[in-house]
Amino acid sequence: MSTETTGLGTPEDLTDAERGAVEAELRPLADGEFVLAERYTEWQVRAPTLESDLAISNIAQDELGHARLWYDLLEDFGYTEAALIWEANPEDFQHPTLVELPLGEGDWADAIVRGYLYDTYENLHLRALEGTSYPWIADRVGKVLAEEDYHTQHARNWLSRLCEDDPGRERVRKALDRLFPYALTLFAETEHEAAIVDMGIRTESLADMREEWLGVVVPHLDSLGLSVPVSEDGEVLVDLPDQVGTDGSHTEHWPELFEEFTHTYRELELGEPPRLLEDPDEV
Amino acid sequence: MAEQNPSSADDPTAGESGPTYCAYTDYSQDTPSETSLPATGKNASGTEQRVWDVLYEIEDPEMPVSIVDLGLIYGVRVVEESEATAGDDSSTDEEDIAGDAVGTPVAIDMTLTYTGCPARKMLTEEVEEEVRSIEGVSEVALELVWSPNWSLEMVTEQGRADLREFGLSVPEREEA
Repeated sequence: MSTETTGLGTPEDLTDAERGAVEAELRPLADGEFVLAERYTEWQVRAPTLESDLAISNIAQDELGHARLWYDLLEDFGYTEAALIWEANPEDFQHPTLVELPLGEGDWADAIVRGYLYDTYENLHLRALEGTSYPWIADRVGKVLAEEDYHTQHARNWLSRLCEDDPGRERVRKALDRLFPYALTLFAETEHEAAIVDMGIRTESLADMREEWLGVVVPHLDSLGLSVPVSEDGEVLVDLPDQVGTDGSHTEHWPELFEEFTHTYRELELGEPPRLLEDPDEV
Repeated sequence: MAEQNPSSADDPTAGESGPTYCAYTDYSQDTPSETSLPATGKNASGTEQRVWDVLYEIEDPEMPVSIVDLGLIYGVRVVEESEATAGDDSSTDEEDIAGDAVGTPVAIDMTLTYTGCPARKMLTEEVEEEVRSIEGVSEVALELVWSPNWSLEMVTEQGRADLREFGLSVPEREEA
């Protein structure tokens, strides 16, 4: 625990402002992991080798596991899993829109580039949570970080492999051009950003994390022969998309994905109270 | 989040009930240090001993090894009788005590080998159910904790032997 920030209290002891800030920190994180996993699972049994089938399935499983750890902490505030996910409205979700975009059809490079951009960000984000003032987050960060190492390795290995020849690099370039502006949504602030940093819930601002992320991603992609729309002095040359996710705004692809993954929940009528007897009026 | 009412925790239609807290669990995050793990209940007695005995009987769903030997249990705390009844005005005469849930509450800290463990609910429910059925236990508060990270270092000698017999290659424990 950081020596400078006083630790926050138990879930029920938090002031409204503290609770608002903790929720604002957790919700985009939980949703981001969850929705990324949803997209990854589309690649299961379609990846280019059996090994990569297993890898992408395993990574998806990890991300679902991480989502569950963060949703758990929201449940401490009284929400249920059903309310947070299955019975929520699509606009309640706050994941950065990068993770909801449909995967380029049949384009393995998309899954890899997306994974690389996201995992590099996630790693920085988790490191900024290691010294968090909220003990319940602190308890979980180490575990999640340990599982993330492999994800970054997986993405980097595949990136190098795909960039070994021109056709492969061309695919990566196309995916990168499409995804890069959306990757900037990973650093879109919520109205609670100042409070999150002031209260020590996260020890680094999203703006600083963005700088750091660019410092990692740009030279690495450059070394693979890929150009990123960032000027020599670090200025990003593309605009942030209109829909950033963290404010509840989403792309036109999101309602469709939401509809799809909540389909079974609705089909099984899990939201309906069970009835032992038929309503006599309906017999 | 405005659409979501926290009171939906009481919603009986929810697929999974929210977390429940034992009134006696303190919220300090004094997670056990790595050196105090694995926790095995070596010097336990009375109710606590019975809790450990029951936990030893529960196996990992994928491997024939006890969850205690696997190192998943980070701590067991049996609330002492005096603590449990302190401040409880209603239990001043014997009749009332007999009328209340018999026994003392037990708090268990437990971890899982990885976050995406698909047996989480199955395993935690089994622990809660088995421990609750012990004579002298009135309620169980199981908390999943993630610090320190579970690792092979948490596996006991017996656990290592069991895993080897199962066919896994388990390195010798590093000398402390």
